[in-house]
Amino acid sequence: MSELINTLIQDARVWQGQRHIKSTQPAEPTGYQALDNQLGGIGWPRGALSECLLDAPGIGELTLLMPLMQRLSQAGKTVFWLNPPHTPYAPALARGDIDLNQVIMVHTEDKGDFLWTLENCLRSPVTGLVMAWPGKLAAREIRRLQLAAEAGSNVCVLFRERRYAEQNSPAALRLELEPGEQQSLNINVLKRRGSWPGQHCSLAITHRANLLHHEAPRVVQGPWPTLAR
Amino acid sequence: MLWLYLHFPHLLLDHIRRSSEKASALVIVEDSGQKVIQACPAARDLGVGAGMRLKTAVSLVPELGIIRADQQQEARILEDQARWLYRYAAHIVLVPPNGLLAEIGSLQRLYGGLPAVWQTLEEVLQERRLTAWPGIGHTPLAARLIARSGKGTCTSDKGHTLQVLGQMPLLAAEFDERTCTRLQRLGLNTLAEVFRLPPADMARRLSPETLAYIQKIQGSRPDPQAPWQPPHYFRQQADFVQDIEQSQGLLFPLQRILSELERDLCWRQQDTDCLLLVLGHRHAEPTRLRIRTSGPEHRAEAFLSLIRLRFEQQPLQAPVILLRLTVKRFLGREAPSGQDLLGESQDLNEAWHTLLSRLQARLGENALKQLAPQADHRPERAWSASEVRRTQHVLTTAASHLPQRPLWLLQGPQPLTEIPQVWFTGPERISGGWWDGQRVHRDYYIAQLNNGQLAWVFRDVREGWFVHGWFG
Repeated sequence: MSELINTLIQDARVWQGQRHIKSTQPAEPTGYQALDNQLGGIGWPRGALSECLLDAPGIGELTLLMPLMQRLSQAGKTVFWLNPPHTPYAPALARGDIDLNQVIMVHTEDKGDFLWTLENCLRSPVTGLVMAWPGKLAAREIRRLQLAAEAGSNVCVLFRERRYAEQNSPAALRLELEPGEQQSLNINVLKRRGSWPGQHCSLAITHRANLLHHEAPRVVQGPWPTLAR
Repeated sequence: MLWLYLHFPHLLLDHIRRSSEKASALVIVEDSGQKVIQACPAARDLGVGAGMRLKTAVSLVPELGIIRADQQQEARILEDQARWLYRYAAHIVLVPPNGLLAEIGSLQRLYGGLPAVWQTLEEVLQERRLTAWPGIGHTPLAARLIARSGKGTCTSDKGHTLQVLGQMPLLAAEFDERTCTRLQRLGLNTLAEVFRLPPADMARRLSPETLAYIQKIQGSRPDPQAPWQPPHYFRQQADFVQDIEQSQGLLFPLQRILSELERDLCWRQQDTDCLLLVLGHRHAEPTRLRIRTSGPEHRAEAFLSLIRLRFEQQPLQAPVILLRLTVKRFLGREAPSGQDLLGESQDLNEAWHTLLSRLQARLGENALKQLAPQADHRPERAWSASEVRRTQHVLTTAASHLPQRPLWLLQGPQPLTEIPQVWFTGPERISGGWWDGQRVHRDYYIAQLNNGQLAWVFRDVREGWFVHGWFG
């Protein structure tokens, strides 16, 4: 190694990636070992924002959060759904062993109310998890939410469209979700605070529709001719 | 028996001055609006006095606040005073228009002597910024006469009381005009001289009523007083001399009323979850605001922050001249359960109610929903959204018996616009609703669309294909 580099390292003027201490930020395990491994073995960060970026619902984005929801709701923490795009279906949630008494769905009319509600939920000690569908958010607003999240210690997941993946964001964890082979869910870690991004993993979550992934899909011959397309 | 009489020389003035932030000159004028009846100290300093014509007063102080005397209002304010006095004394009698009578002989043991009772009351009066002249006497009338003369002292000595009464001129003794003239014509000037008259003579030469009155003052004739019963609700009102145009201006009087409510609730050992706030306007129907908390609450600051949120959402429609807070619903107080001995762990139950009340106050009560499954086969009826309620009850239905369902249900079925890539399980026939006219007859399948979405699709009787949910 050259003289110059040695001097720099000895002066501690160069930060060395491999030596960094494993982050000790509080977190909640995701319930999926494969994903936890990619997230430094800890899972969803608490007291910080997480973002899930996806194109369309129905690829397993809620199933990703089911183990967390189940654990928190049964521990007596409240789970908020803020402006969900569709109705969270109660029979399916009950089947997933989620305590529905702890689930509260909130609809707000405008952006101001949305941010206010989210901030209040984040600051409260009763909240376990907030899932929010914010639509368009300015970076300044995400920053405001991030500060509110730091005031509390709960998990907050924002579901946003995938086109925001390019935009930078102060969220502590950013995951890009896309459908994978055999109804699995592919996850790209776009950003993780205190570590390198770029990890991939694929979760087999066919249990959401009770499908066995190794079994070849049984083709049901639909009476299709009436649907001209 | 020992009686305490509180004479409020200018109750209406005190009441109005309490709800305004800055002290400005105020006067009360009689009903016809011609003469000043009472003037506050600020007005008196500027030269306005009782008995002055209103025109003269206004020319002396152009920015004078003028209130018209109103008997109903005065009666209501007097009752407000009785309500707080009831916390200190049990047997209270209202003496309209401006007096309160309380039996305090039985309180001496409780407070530790008469001076302690006296001092407690003086402190309370000062704290409430009320002017009152107290008087103690061995009969209700004696207490009243002493209080109204302003010579009240803290003594339970009957002899002293009679002596003070004796020195009182006849005019202060509140005889009716005719009796007063006749007594003066007899050459009597003070009450002591009247006391010395033989009773039989007095009844014959004056009237039996006069004798009864004298005997009631002296205590040789019973003078029963029916005790006042406090109403089972809380009501406080603030009246404003000048219209309040900003909701910010209402917060000051509200703060006082709410801390009053908090004390009232503490005293009752009860909580409430519903406040009714009425804002009166000069030329419009009063605004009625119902402030609800999601759980039992008694702290003034919690109510105030909810009301503040409400004001932010809903600006005032018109300038406000009157503010009234009513609480009619009282709930039993529960001991905080989450608190440990050292108060280290936060009371989550309370935090939950605080959060939910805040959200409901700002977003409206319909914005928050709780979900529950319903016993119905039709997917759109197999769930329900209800108002948020804190329940500790545990789901008893075996959740695994529920059929496989998607996590997202669409608001209504959407037409399927593409041929799905892969078909999975199905068909699951759901047919029902013939009993209530909402007939459903569908075959449900699980299918994957071309962009990877796992959908819950169905075909109805008319061979149409629809998406009804996503396996999110």
